[in-house]
Amino acid sequence: MNSIAFLVPIAVGLAAIFLFLFLRAVKGGQFDDLDDPPRRILKDD
Amino acid sequence: MEPSPGSMPTSDPPDTAPRAGVSRCPHCGTRVEGAVDAFCCAGCEMAFAIIRGSGLERYYQEREAFAPRPEPLAGGWDALPVEPDEHGLCEIRMAIDGLRCASCVWVAENVLQRTAGVDEAMVSYATGRATLRWDPDKVRLGELAGRIAALGYRPRLLGEEARPDRDLLLRLGVAAFAAANVMMYAAALYAGWLGGMEVRFVALFQWMSLILATPVAIWCAAPFFAGAWAGLRNGVLHMDVPIAMAVAVLYVQGVAGTLLHVDTYLDSMTMLVALLLAGRVLESRGRRRAAEAAVTLAATVPAMARRFAGGTVEAVPSVQLVPGDRVVAGAGEELPADGVVADGEGALRMALLTGEAAPVQVGPGDRVWAGTLVVDGALTVEVTEAAEETVIHRMAEELRAAADRGARPSSTDRIAPWFTGATLLIAVGTFFVWWIVSGLGAALAASVAVLVVACPCALALSRPLAAAAGLGAAARRGLLFRSADALLELGGVDVVALDKTGTVTAGALDVIGAGDDDLRVAAGLERYSVHPVALAIVREAADRGIPLPAATDVQEEVGIGISGRVDGTDWSLRSAGAGVVVLRGADGYRGLIRLGDSVRADSADAVAGLRRLGTQVAILTGDHPEVAARMALSAGIDRVEARLDPEAKAAWIRARRDEGHRVLYAGDGLNDGPALAASDVGVAMGTGAASSILTADGVLASGSLRPLAVGIEASRACRTAIRWNQGRSVVYNISAVTAAALGWINPLVAAVLMPLSSALVIWGSSRVEAAVRRAEERTV
Repeated sequence: MNSIAFLVPIAVGLAAIFLFLFLRAVKGGQFDDLDDPPRRILKDD
Repeated sequence: MEPSPGSMPTSDPPDTAPRAGVSRCPHCGTRVEGAVDAFCCAGCEMAFAIIRGSGLERYYQEREAFAPRPEPLAGGWDALPVEPDEHGLCEIRMAIDGLRCASCVWVAENVLQRTAGVDEAMVSYATGRATLRWDPDKVRLGELAGRIAALGYRPRLLGEEARPDRDLLLRLGVAAFAAANVMMYAAALYAGWLGGMEVRFVALFQWMSLILATPVAIWCAAPFFAGAWAGLRNGVLHMDVPIAMAVAVLYVQGVAGTLLHVDTYLDSMTMLVALLLAGRVLESRGRRRAAEAAVTLAATVPAMARRFAGGTVEAVPSVQLVPGDRVVAGAGEELPADGVVADGEGALRMALLTGEAAPVQVGPGDRVWAGTLVVDGALTVEVTEAAEETVIHRMAEELRAAADRGARPSSTDRIAPWFTGATLLIAVGTFFVWWIVSGLGAALAASVAVLVVACPCALALSRPLAAAAGLGAAARRGLLFRSADALLELGGVDVVALDKTGTVTAGALDVIGAGDDDLRVAAGLERYSVHPVALAIVREAADRGIPLPAATDVQEEVGIGISGRVDGTDWSLRSAGAGVVVLRGADGYRGLIRLGDSVRADSADAVAGLRRLGTQVAILTGDHPEVAARMALSAGIDRVEARLDPEAKAAWIRARRDEGHRVLYAGDGLNDGPALAASDVGVAMGTGAASSILTADGVLASGSLRPLAVGIEASRACRTAIRWNQGRSVVYNISAVTAAALGWINPLVAAVLMPLSSALVIWGSSRVEAAVRRAEERTV
């Protein structure tokens, strides 16, 4: 049961990495417009 | 970006197979007699040259639909007050109408991008909206807008861009992260109740829950606390109050429980905040598009005026004109100030002020207004009011002031005080009963449990979720609403009042009567003209599939008419009073072409759809009763109120409301402002020349009335969903609070019950779109 002492921080740490990536994506504007960019990649120029 | 497969080059119906010597204009596809690749008009030739000149010929191979025929753009773009940023660049957002396929978007974007002086041009494939950054020292905005118009697309100015909801998303991310982790610990704790768990692990999980829940309670839930505080300060108990109360109680109980080794409800709290934030995000995304539809009125008065002074004409900024100045304006120019015609005759298009499409003939002594377009002739105007004193400017100011009308309280907000009051009362009651029966400890536990389970989550979620679904369903069909409240109001409407010009009718000059042969000759003569009458005649010929004949020796006399040779004979086309032109050949009179405002092709369908929903439909117009009655008949409307000025329209609407009716008003003119404000739900036409859009609750983006009926269906579906959701939530709360008051609730029961009620609400809301789709199938 003492393994819990390691596993809990590891679980939180892993989740925190994904949270960090999500927050960065939001701040980078990746969620500002969800309609246009997917259509834009179909048109090459 | 309406697809128009009918105009695809490859899908010619067999009955219009090319006759001998008929080709299509390479740009807009209008049929033209004679050589292959002949252009129908100078505008299309110009558009072709611009596209070629920008190296974008690929557009012609890749496009899925012909381009619209270019028409001249009304001026005023340069009058826009735009401030350069620190790099000396200006930025503006505009909507571009007439984009029919992805290639249209591509060509519009790249033509702008490749214009010297443009720093960045982005046109959205999804919405056809453009963001433009340019260097005002190198290129004028008017030139850029003119280039779009030269391609056949119509630029329109957009209001402030609604800010993307990044802040809410960040909060949602953190809350979801915390909720997922806290729930994991909670699951372990619940398992521990059954299997037994060492005290130190219970403490570990509780402390971890508390650490993760702290930022959720303090930062993620801050918008709810701020909303509740603002509400309380104004003496309003809206939905944020019970939410803030629940979060606060749950968190304080969590801190106390962790310190005292009692069970906590922190898993329920983090999930409550995450779910509510998700609802907020959805709702604000649904609202963003409508907010963007607000159009400003700035682009209506030209920046520069030509002033007469001491026998010469000088260019001065319009804002520097003073009463007594004399200004000149020729065909194609907009008047820079209000005034009286001193000299000259001409026709003015006053659609901006009156909504009437047909040009009005004016002469010396007539009153004229800034922002109206000189269609014909040349005028010298003595200025009576300039700059901020002009009618157009004052109307714009009034509209802006009216746009800030307060939000109506929603049905959920009306429940909130009762909900809060009842919960508090029961909690206090529970406390005293338990105190008397079995002491302070049990009393505290039971009353906290009451506050905890009386979760406003389902209640608070029911509206944003259903409204987001409804707003989205309506928006996809061309009806944009500024707020969820207005959308919900729409479902209760039982009287639909429509403005005539520009709403039931297209509000543009159209051919309403002409023989095919006359039309063919007239269209040949008018091919290269940009006069509104010429544009209407050529448009009608193109719509009927009549190939444009070649014309030679064409002479256009401003204000009089046009003459030339077609098929080897001489013809002339002369104006003969309001809305009639006469075609004469070498041997005299040949025929009449009548022009007027025609009923939109789908207005009758739209009215039938509204009728099926059980609403009364009426036309309100300032027009002559006879004209109005004829219009009403062709649109299938039986009730007509003619000769109403703007105030009388508003009064008519107020009278219906006093009778207990709920009134929807749809109109497009500046003069519709009072009626829009007087109605329960005011809807403006997105294509309206002027912007009644600021006073309206919603906007019909495509300029068709059809989405109204769908909007009412969507609203009714929303109302049903919300009623169901609120009903479920009330049943849940009554049973849960009863259980809590009796002391039967523990954190596990709460953790199961609370998300269950939220899940029911989400399920209820998800059926809105399906209900709208079913309603649509019934009406098609």
